[in-house]
Amino acid sequence: MDVLDLLLDPLRSGIDRRALAEVALLGVVCGGLSFWVVGYRLAYPAESLAHGLLPGLVLASLAGAPLVLGALGGVAVAAALVALAARDERIDADTATAVVVTGMFGLGALLALAPETPARLGELLFGDPLGVTDADLVAAGALVVVGGLALAALHRPLAATAFDRVGARSLGIAPERVQLALLLLLSVALAVAVTGLGSLLVLAVLVAPAVAVRRHASSPPAAMAAGAGLAVVAGAIGIYASHHLGSAAGASVALSLVLAAALGTLGWPPRPVAAARRYRAGGLATPPRRPPSPGL
Amino acid sequence: MTAAPVVLARGAALGYGGAPVLEDLDFAVPAGASVGVLGPNGGGKTTLFAGLVGALAPTAGELEVQGRPAYVAQTDRTRLDFPVSALDVALMGSLASGRWWLPASRADRRAASLSLERVGLGSESGTRFGELSGGQRQRVLIARALVQDARVLLLDEPLAGVDPASAEGIEDLFSALRDEGRTLLVSTHDVQSARVFDLVLCLNRRQVAFGPPAETLGRGILEATYGSEIVVLDGGDGPVRAVTVQHHDH
Amino acid sequence: MEIASPPSLFDLLELPVFRTASLEIALLAIAGGLLGAWIVLRRLAFFAHAAGTATFPGLVVAEAAGVSPRLAALVVGLGFAGGVERAGGRSRLTDATTALALVAALGIGIVLASDVFESGAVVDRLLFGTAIGLGSADVAFSAVAAALAAAGTVALGRAWTATGFDPGASTALGLPTRQADSVLLVLVALAAVASLPAVGALLVAALFVTPAATARLFARGVSGLLAGSVAVAAALGAAGLYASFWLDLPPGPAVAVLGGVAYALCAVVTAVRPRTPLRAQEAA
Repeated sequence: MDVLDLLLDPLRSGIDRRALAEVALLGVVCGGLSFWVVGYRLAYPAESLAHGLLPGLVLASLAGAPLVLGALGGVAVAAALVALAARDERIDADTATAVVVTGMFGLGALLALAPETPARLGELLFGDPLGVTDADLVAAGALVVVGGLALAALHRPLAATAFDRVGARSLGIAPERVQLALLLLLSVALAVAVTGLGSLLVLAVLVAPAVAVRRHASSPPAAMAAGAGLAVVAGAIGIYASHHLGSAAGASVALSLVLAAALGTLGWPPRPVAAARRYRAGGLATPPRRPPSPGL
Repeated sequence: MTAAPVVLARGAALGYGGAPVLEDLDFAVPAGASVGVLGPNGGGKTTLFAGLVGALAPTAGELEVQGRPAYVAQTDRTRLDFPVSALDVALMGSLASGRWWLPASRADRRAASLSLERVGLGSESGTRFGELSGGQRQRVLIARALVQDARVLLLDEPLAGVDPASAEGIEDLFSALRDEGRTLLVSTHDVQSARVFDLVLCLNRRQVAFGPPAETLGRGILEATYGSEIVVLDGGDGPVRAVTVQHHDH
Repeated sequence: MEIASPPSLFDLLELPVFRTASLEIALLAIAGGLLGAWIVLRRLAFFAHAAGTATFPGLVVAEAAGVSPRLAALVVGLGFAGGVERAGGRSRLTDATTALALVAALGIGIVLASDVFESGAVVDRLLFGTAIGLGSADVAFSAVAAALAAAGTVALGRAWTATGFDPGASTALGLPTRQADSVLLVLVALAAVASLPAVGALLVAALFVTPAATARLFARGVSGLLAGSVAVAAALGAAGLYASFWLDLPPGPAVAVLGGVAYALCAVVTAVRPRTPLRAQEAA
C-alpha cells in the first residue's frame, strides 16, 4: 500500500469517515476544554464522573435509546450523589467519592452483565467510535457550538479565577460560580464524548491535550487552540492506526492521546529558542526560571 | 466635616466555620489613609483581608468596605505557572467593570498598558508573569488594581521576599497611590516600616489596638500582638524599636 | 429476565466451588477490612483503586501467555506502589498524569486483549472477578495477604495512626514514619492483587474502601474502626457472594452495589449523631 492509499483508505469507508468526524468534533471542543480541566485540577472529578455515569449508559443501551441521553442522565445522578456524599463531614471527600463511584460503576456492570440481556459492556467501557450513530454526531456538533460559546463567554472569569482566586473575587467574580460552570460544561462534554470513547477511556480526550501542550502554552487561548489541534490530530491518528492495525478503535484514540501527553511531559519537542529570545528581549536581571513543575 | 469611613468594622468576627479566628474588630478607616496591619503569622491579617474582599462573611458584627477593594496577594498565592503575561494580568482589572462575558475592549487594553507604565513595567508587558521577579510581580498586581480603579487597596505583605531596591520602588508607588486619595491597607511583618503609616491596626486573633503609630507602636501593645515573636530593642516612651521573629510556613 | 428462586445456603455449601469462594471472600474480608481502615484513615482510596486498575494489562498478558496472573499483577502492583511512594515526596505527580497513566493501562490492556481473546468474557472476568473460577492458589495468596494485614496492623498500627494525625510530630518522636508508610503501601498493593481474581481489577475498592467507610460512620476509636470494617466487609462479601451465585453475576459488582447501598443507608441513619472523633491512643 503506498502512502496515498494509507491516507485515503479510511476515508473511503463510511464507517471510518464517521468515526473521524466524531473524533474531530470531540477533539476540537474537549481539547480546548482540557486546558481548564487540568488548570482547575479536575482530573479526579472528571474520572469519577466518567465511571459513575455507567449505569445511565447501560440503561440507555438496554432500552435502545440514544446513548448520549443515558450518559447525560447518568452524569447528573453521579454528580448529585457525589456532592451529597462529599458533604458528610465524617468522611473525607475523596473517600466518599470513591464509595459512590464504586457503587455506581458496579451497578452499571451489574445491569450489563445480568444474563439474558445483550451485553455491550465492552463498547460502553472502552468506546466504539466505529459504531457512532447520527445521534452521536449531532450531539458532538451541538457540543462544539454550545461548548464553544460557553468557553468564549467564560474565558475571562476562568482565567482570572485560575490565576488568583481571591483577586478574582475582588474583581467581582464569584470563584465558586465559575468552578460550577466549568463542572457543568465538563459533565456535558463527558456525556457526549463517552459514547465514542467509553467510560474508562474518555478521560484521555479531556486531560491529555492540555498536558501535551502545556510546556508551549504562551497564553490560555493559545493553549486551548493547541490542545484542540492536538486532540484532533491524535484522534485521527488513533482511527488510522485502528484501521490499518486492526486494534480497538476507542483504545487506539485514547492511547494516541496519552502518548502525546507523555511526549509533552518528557519535554518533547524542546523549546530552548523561545526562552532565549525572551531573555534577550526582556532585559531581565536574571535568566527566566522554568515555571515550577507542580503541573498546571 | 468628617467624610464617611471607607472601611468600617463594628464588633466583627471572622471564622472558617468553627470558632472565630479573628474577633473584636472595631475600627473606621477614613478615605485616603494608609493603614499598616501588624500581627504574627496566623494572627488574622489574611483573614481580615478575606473578609474585606467578601470571601468570608462575618460571623458576628459588621464589616463594610466602600466599593470593591483591590486585593494584591502575596505572590506565592498567585499561580506562577499560569501562562499569562504582565499585560494579561493588568487587563484582568477591567473585569471589575462588570461585563465579564465580553472580551476586553481597546480602551481597557490602553488602560492596562498605561498602568503598567505607571508602575515602571512598560517594557515587560509581554513577559510571562511567572518569569518576573518578586518585586515586579507585586507591581503588576498593583497595576491590575489601578486598572480596576479601586479606591481601596488591600496589600498582603507586599514587600515580603522583595529585594530592597524594588521595595523602594514599591513604596514610592504607595505614596503616589495615597496622593491620589486611595486608601491603602498594608499588612506587614516589619514593625519599623509601620511607623510611616497614618494608622496601625494590630491583630492577634483579635484586634489588639488601632490608632496612629505613636499610640500603637508602644511596648505593651507590640508584646500583646506578637507575644514571643517580638524582640524589643529600645525602652522608653513612644514608638519603640522592635524586630519580629518571622516564622514562615511553607 | 427471569430470576431463579434463591438457593438454600445448605445447597450451596455442598458445592466445592462455593466453599472455595466463601473461604476466599472471608480471607479477603479480613485483609480488606483491616487495610481498609488504614486506607480510609490515611486517605489512600484512590491508591487502592489505582493499584488494582494498573494491573489490568499485566493480567491480560499473563492470561494470554499462560503464566500465573498473580505474578504479573504483583510485579505491576508493587511497581505502582513503589512509583507512588517515590513521587509522594514531591508535590504530587499531578492528578492529571496519574489519571492518564491509568487510562493508558486500561487502553493497552484492551488492545492486547482484543488481539488475543476471542470473547469478551475473559476481559469481563479480569475486570469484575469470578465466583466460580477461584482456586486453591488464590485462597493461599489471600491467606498470606490477610496474615500480613493483621501482622502489619499489630506492629505498625500505632505508627500509621500517629502519622495520619500529625506527620511532623511522629517523625520527631522517632517513629519510622517513612518506612512504616512504605510498608502500608506495599501491603495495600499486595492485598489488592490478592483480591483481583474475586472482585476484578476495577472493583478493588468494593472490599477495600466501602466497608471501612461504612464502619467509619459508626466507629469509636481506631480499634472500633478495624473491627467494624472487617465485620462489614465480611457481611458484604458474604451477601455479594450469595447474590453472585444466585443471579449468575460476577462478585465484584455485586459487592460494590451492596456496599454502596449499605453505606447510603448507614449515612442516612447515623446522620443525626454528631461526629465521633477517633481517639489516637486506641491504635491497635
